[in-house]
Amino acid sequence: MNKDKDYTFRGWLLTLGVTLGVVALGLLPAVEVFGLRLERVDALSPLKETHSTEEVVEYEADMARLEEELAAMTIAEEAVVDTLPVVVPTRYDWVVEDMASEPRPHLTAAMVRPDTAQRVIAIEDFDSLPNSRFERLVERLAAGESVRIAFMGDSFVEGDILTCDLRSELQQLFGGRGVGFVPCDIPFATVRRSVKRRATNWSSYSIMKPKSAPERLRDKFSVSGYLSEGGARANVRWESVDMFPTLDSCSNARILLISRDSSSVQLTINDTIYHRLDIAADERLREIHIEAPIHSLAMEVVEGRVVCYGASLEADGGVVVDNFSVRSNNGHAIFGTSAAINRQVDEMLGYDMVVLQYGLNIMLPGQRNFSKYRDQLRDMIAYVERCFPNAVVLVMGVSDRWIKSEETGKYVPIGSVDALTKYQRAAADSCNVAFWNTSAAMAELGGMPAFVSHGWAGGDYTHINYAGGKRVARALAAALRQPVYELLLERERVDSLREQERRYIEQMRSIGVSEVLPSIDNSGAMSIEKPVVEEELSW
Amino acid sequence: MVAEYIGKIAEWLGGDAEAVVESLSAMWERLLPLLWYDATSPITLTSGFFLFAFLLFGVGYMAVRRVVRLRTLYVVLFSLYFYYKLSGLYVLLLLFVAVSDFVIGRRVARRREGGARTRRLVAISVAINVAILVYFKATDAFVGFVNGLYGEGTLEWGMVVPAGVSFFVFQSIAYVVDISRGVIKPLRHFSDYLFLLSFFPKMFLGPLVRARDFIPQIEQRDLRISKDDLGRAVTLIAGGIIKYAVIAKSLGVLFVAPAFAGELGDSGIVALMAIYGFTLQIYCDFSGYSDIAIGVALLLGFRLPDNFDAPYKSATITEFWRRWHISLSTWLKEYLYISLGGNRHGTLRTYLNLIVTMFLGGLWHGVGLTFMAWGLLHGVALALHKLWLKLIPNAKKVGSEMKPAWRVLATLLTFHIVAFGWLLFTADSMHQVEDMLMRIAHNWSWADIPAMVEQSEVALALMLLGYVMHLLPRRVDNAVMRGVTRSGYICQVLLIVVAVWLMAECDMLLTLSSGGDGALPMYAAF
Repeated sequence: MNKDKDYTFRGWLLTLGVTLGVVALGLLPAVEVFGLRLERVDALSPLKETHSTEEVVEYEADMARLEEELAAMTIAEEAVVDTLPVVVPTRYDWVVEDMASEPRPHLTAAMVRPDTAQRVIAIEDFDSLPNSRFERLVERLAAGESVRIAFMGDSFVEGDILTCDLRSELQQLFGGRGVGFVPCDIPFATVRRSVKRRATNWSSYSIMKPKSAPERLRDKFSVSGYLSEGGARANVRWESVDMFPTLDSCSNARILLISRDSSSVQLTINDTIYHRLDIAADERLREIHIEAPIHSLAMEVVEGRVVCYGASLEADGGVVVDNFSVRSNNGHAIFGTSAAINRQVDEMLGYDMVVLQYGLNIMLPGQRNFSKYRDQLRDMIAYVERCFPNAVVLVMGVSDRWIKSEETGKYVPIGSVDALTKYQRAAADSCNVAFWNTSAAMAELGGMPAFVSHGWAGGDYTHINYAGGKRVARALAAALRQPVYELLLERERVDSLREQERRYIEQMRSIGVSEVLPSIDNSGAMSIEKPVVEEELSW
Repeated sequence: MVAEYIGKIAEWLGGDAEAVVESLSAMWERLLPLLWYDATSPITLTSGFFLFAFLLFGVGYMAVRRVVRLRTLYVVLFSLYFYYKLSGLYVLLLLFVAVSDFVIGRRVARRREGGARTRRLVAISVAINVAILVYFKATDAFVGFVNGLYGEGTLEWGMVVPAGVSFFVFQSIAYVVDISRGVIKPLRHFSDYLFLLSFFPKMFLGPLVRARDFIPQIEQRDLRISKDDLGRAVTLIAGGIIKYAVIAKSLGVLFVAPAFAGELGDSGIVALMAIYGFTLQIYCDFSGYSDIAIGVALLLGFRLPDNFDAPYKSATITEFWRRWHISLSTWLKEYLYISLGGNRHGTLRTYLNLIVTMFLGGLWHGVGLTFMAWGLLHGVALALHKLWLKLIPNAKKVGSEMKPAWRVLATLLTFHIVAFGWLLFTADSMHQVEDMLMRIAHNWSWADIPAMVEQSEVALALMLLGYVMHLLPRRVDNAVMRGVTRSGYICQVLLIVVAVWLMAECDMLLTLSSGGDGALPMYAAF
């Protein structure tokens, strides 16, 4: 009997059940299981508008507020110094082992000379005054001094794409170790291959969705774009990976956090050495500085609440490259960061260069006029310069992007890359900062179609992958190496002339010529006046 | 007017009437554009849009399913809409193929005794179909070739290839050839033929159906599905989603693609695991989607043929082709191999025919050296196996006839031949094939295993899970199916919902790391 029953209607009921079930999934919140963040699944999302708490905001530049904040910060700092009987420290040190500074590499022009097969796309420094910040950066690199670079970008460099190779190449040449800054926690799943990070029990917020963050935290974002608040049992662990020779371990780590009320955290190095640290209550940004041979670093909140930004794994000396990528940010998010906190970050870490890699998301097919974006970019540069007063700003031109043609279904150039590049260069020019033409460098490598066919970019003809990032990073590193190479070459030339001159003088002396008047003019060419031979010879 | 009623209901429920009406009408406005074809999000059996459309379609289907003509028409209309959502105006191409072969089929039947006339008609039909296929498959390669010779932009000719074009073209060829061979009679109703070609679950990736198997189903009056059918459908759909959207996708994005691109280092063991990974990925991707199609069709009471039967359990290459993409290999055998003469012209011709058949099969996947090499590999392997069977009197054709130890060895050998084939198949150039093999040969170190496991633990765990599932004996599958059948409504719903949920989570996780679209099954490219 049962065998002959028709289950077709039952089948439809099943479909109905599944549909309702799938829609009901939308009611489940995002949860975290085994450290894996499961997002909300909303089958009806194409029919809905994005809701207010999820809303992505567009920040406006507000330079007046920036100045106010910076001024207030200075006043607050002075007040702390003047009034409090015991000064609350902004830096806590935990020295497990005295670590030697990175040895300064002795660089020669031959070592620094760019070794790419492609033409080097030069960095254009629009600061025409002598001793510009870019020149100072070049000099620091040439001298093997420590250099810190903040790389601010969008999804193009998310997951440390491009920056991991840039860092590796610069560190291998100019010294330095470690992956640099890594956020504490990010409110969605990400894959980053250059470091392992595991964070649990934090409430994490992105600057792109500030309304999801509680009011008290909305003005606490830094350039990293993410912050995490956690109470007791919130913990985070950063672990080095050996993806690149300079990443497997490092000697210094700095954790950046705010502890408005007094709190206590437990630090763990390499899962073996523990240290409990009490942090006094204060509004300012705090740095926990750890010196040890570090492979992994963990922090757990034991008491109180802290707002943690992240940690930097680095060495004392050499190059540090911090990847600050925020997805779908076209750069405006900087206006939503706290200038005071950025400035404090800069005082702790000391940036020499800030790279602005934005613009990929604002292009419309065929768009030619980006004057509005250019003005916004000028404000961004001004904002960055106020927050990081010693850093040279490097504007990266937009990368190559192709789109699918509606008629043919083939990928064609979006047609606005050159225009946007032009406006970005104009913004850099008018602000006297540096500029690098990314799309030209990609064109040297064959442009987006070549990237896709070599497997260096995704099938969307927009985002490069790690392999593609490596190529662009090499081109950018070459652009940084070129002026260092020229500087060293020049110095070596002058040195060798000096050497020649010294030898010449010695030679002359040895044959009894007492006065030689060589001089090196500015061009470095040596002109030696005819030696005056003394008449009265002593012998 | 509807809005007014909804407003009243909302008011009655104590809500803010205006707000409810407003949000509903906003939703309505967003719904309308979704109904049109959008090249960036074609419909598939796993898209959310399909779920809702299928639910609505089901309401009407309940009403008309007992009336054959009405039912056929209803399903055909929905199928055409499905194809429109999948491929836009190429739905006209589908209609053209259907009309042309339907007409030719009738003429062929009328002149069946005619000999030369019949052959000419069949030739016309085949020529039209092959022309369509060649046009869509080879133009790209040709344009690329010319531009490679004379510089980019010499030829500017591009198009979107209609989804599943080979599948309906193959079925259409089979229909005409079958009529000419006298295997089937031509169909009386055009709508029946359109049903055969366009039935939506199989539209995209098959399985290919043969007119002689499928027509009786179209015409059956008392369409019903049993309790077992329902259980089977649920198992196939849920399992298919897991295979296709969870295992294959994650494996591809997390491990196979980066490993092939050399992003996971150049260790030999990683290269080998990447090949094993792709071997599993392509099976899970393709068979998973086929399973979903078979399950969906079963919910409507139609039985599509099995397309896969645990192919990597095969102990010989001949057995592999009886278990892999069964509907295509059957098609190749019946309409290509037999048309070439099959085994009727002596041993040498048989071997040659096998090789040519597989070579063309390879070429069909794409015009390129790697696909040709893949086809040749399989053709030569099949021919060699035939030779082996002839030379060694004791040799067995399939694994079930072998002794256990032999069977294990033979299975391992066959698996590696097939896996090597997949390397050829997926490599973007012969250079990459060489590169991968060199990595395995010259950069092998067991010491790389811990680093690899650490780097890709999730992907490797999924791979292990996939292979273990694949190797489970058939009775386990049957037991699962029986269990699902008995488990009752709630359980069955939950099973599919959980599978869909996992799929959605994977999608969100993976699009982050890949940045690409990748929403379509791999085989959709062919």
